[in-house]
Amino acid sequence: MSTDTTALQTANTAGASRPHLLRHLARDPLALIALIFLVLIVVAAILAPVLAPFDPYDTNLRMRLRPPGGDHLLGTDTQGRDLLTRLLYGARTTLALGFASIVVGSLIGTSIGLAAAFYRRLEGPLMRLVDILLSFPSILFGLALAAMLGVGMDSLVIALGLSAAPPIARVARATAASVMQAEYMDAGRVIGLSDSALIRRYLLRNCAAPIVVYCSLQFGETILLAAALGFLGLGLQPPTAELGSIAAEGRSFIFLAPHVSTAASLLIFMIVLSCNLLGDAFRDLTDPKLQR
Amino acid sequence: MTRQLLWRLLTSIPVLLGVLLVGFLMLQVIPTDPATIIAGPSGTAAEIEDIRRQLGLDAPIMMQFWFYLLRVMQGDLGRSIINNAPVAGELMTALGPTIELMVASLIWAVPLGILLGTLAAMRRGQVFDRAVTALSVAGVSVPAFWVGLLLLQFAAFRWQLFPLQGRGGPLWTLSGLHHVALPALTLGLIFIGPVARMTRTAVVEVLGADFIRTARAKGASEFRVVTRHALRTALIPVVTLIGLQIGSLLGGAVIAETIFGWPGIGRLAVGSIVSSDFPMAQGCILVLACGFIVVNFVVDALYGLLDPRIRSKVR
Repeated sequence: MSTDTTALQTANTAGASRPHLLRHLARDPLALIALIFLVLIVVAAILAPVLAPFDPYDTNLRMRLRPPGGDHLLGTDTQGRDLLTRLLYGARTTLALGFASIVVGSLIGTSIGLAAAFYRRLEGPLMRLVDILLSFPSILFGLALAAMLGVGMDSLVIALGLSAAPPIARVARATAASVMQAEYMDAGRVIGLSDSALIRRYLLRNCAAPIVVYCSLQFGETILLAAALGFLGLGLQPPTAELGSIAAEGRSFIFLAPHVSTAASLLIFMIVLSCNLLGDAFRDLTDPKLQR
Repeated sequence: MTRQLLWRLLTSIPVLLGVLLVGFLMLQVIPTDPATIIAGPSGTAAEIEDIRRQLGLDAPIMMQFWFYLLRVMQGDLGRSIINNAPVAGELMTALGPTIELMVASLIWAVPLGILLGTLAAMRRGQVFDRAVTALSVAGVSVPAFWVGLLLLQFAAFRWQLFPLQGRGGPLWTLSGLHHVALPALTLGLIFIGPVARMTRTAVVEVLGADFIRTARAKGASEFRVVTRHALRTALIPVVTLIGLQIGSLLGGAVIAETIFGWPGIGRLAVGSIVSSDFPMAQGCILVLACGFIVVNFVVDALYGLLDPRIRSKVR
């Protein structure tokens, strides 16, 4: 039990920047607004079934492409469905997709990073693989996986996860390499812990905080890529509401009823912008090179 | 220098093999048996078996991959399932317009991005700097398709300034330029942000260096200090980063081509995937990935050429 206390203490020092972070956010109004907006959007997406004024799949061809106003606050889409409802459900899908992909990406990335730091012999080949993956255009992952596995949720999450994994692997390796220097790693080895116990109980726990923070910074980029693939028709298939595919559906009627694709695109833009603003604020805080 | 390049060339071989493996696997998922199709509806079981043997389809999977590599090296990428046209030929016709579009976007976006980034670095902390930073954050956050859709909606449809769709001929003709304008604007606009941001960071860093102070102390004008001393050093990391960003440019090209009906590889790739034309999709992915590897290689070579320090270090 006493060995775990050491790990806990280190974890606490890593988490000590948290109140500092909040104070910093209070001084950076833009980042604060971004945070509030993101929280609101996530809550709205989770509560979509409660909040949405209409049914997201209830088509009404006599009411199609109505402009904003009246019964339908944001108008209706190409099939006469309420656009506000579609956007709420779309944000729900897109955010869930982004979350699932980041989880997949962090699993892949963290495994590679920790393995590279723990088994020094693997470091060269593993990091070379990461470099290659990192240099590849993420949209190619999306295209290739959609071609191999067919268009759908599985290939989308794998493609998005694969493109999120390489930078996470780099951060994980860098963090793990410094943790490997700690005395408790040697201590753990001396008391005869197996490799897997060392990795799980000591290495992973002490690396977790920075990796989780970094993964959350990747969220914006993943959402943007998900929307792009959705727009190209390589995402989830209709009638599922997803922000990228709503924008694509509106594209055919962009001259008649621009509000459909504009509203969906604007929402994606604001979500990604908020993520990036928060990420920048955080990076300013943690990167000593940038502090003036 | 040459040794370094040779080493880079050697290390890209496994990458290339990986890409080819992906292309090969893409063809393996085709639900229909090519031999059955070639034999036709009247083909007997023996005939089908015969064709299978001729095509090498009865060989172990590793051998089949080897045959695939041989075919690709001979430029045979198979035939489209949809219209039976040779994939390699279709790719050759689509490659030109994609390169054209990329050149047309980079040619204005990179200089403008470097200019904006440099000016921002010179006026660090002032309104102009903040505006450029805000613009580049917005630039990396905006969905590329929205930029395209807005241009389509306003510049092409409402104001009728540019054609809605398609390619109008080679770049040096008026109609060609007229047609490429909107897709190139879309692609360039999303590229300016990162370029400006990278340039700003690099120039800010260099402006703090000792040799800049020396240049100022010698009495060089601020313009000369920035263009001759700071930019020349700062541009090296910028060129590398632009090379790395070519990947995202490729992604943007896929979207711009789809929106503006530009007859390039990106649109071909998306179209073939959506219509399950596996040989065509495989060809597109191969060409896009190989193109990307080549560009990275060229950027690495440029890097050595631009920076005399690297050249001498290796020698």
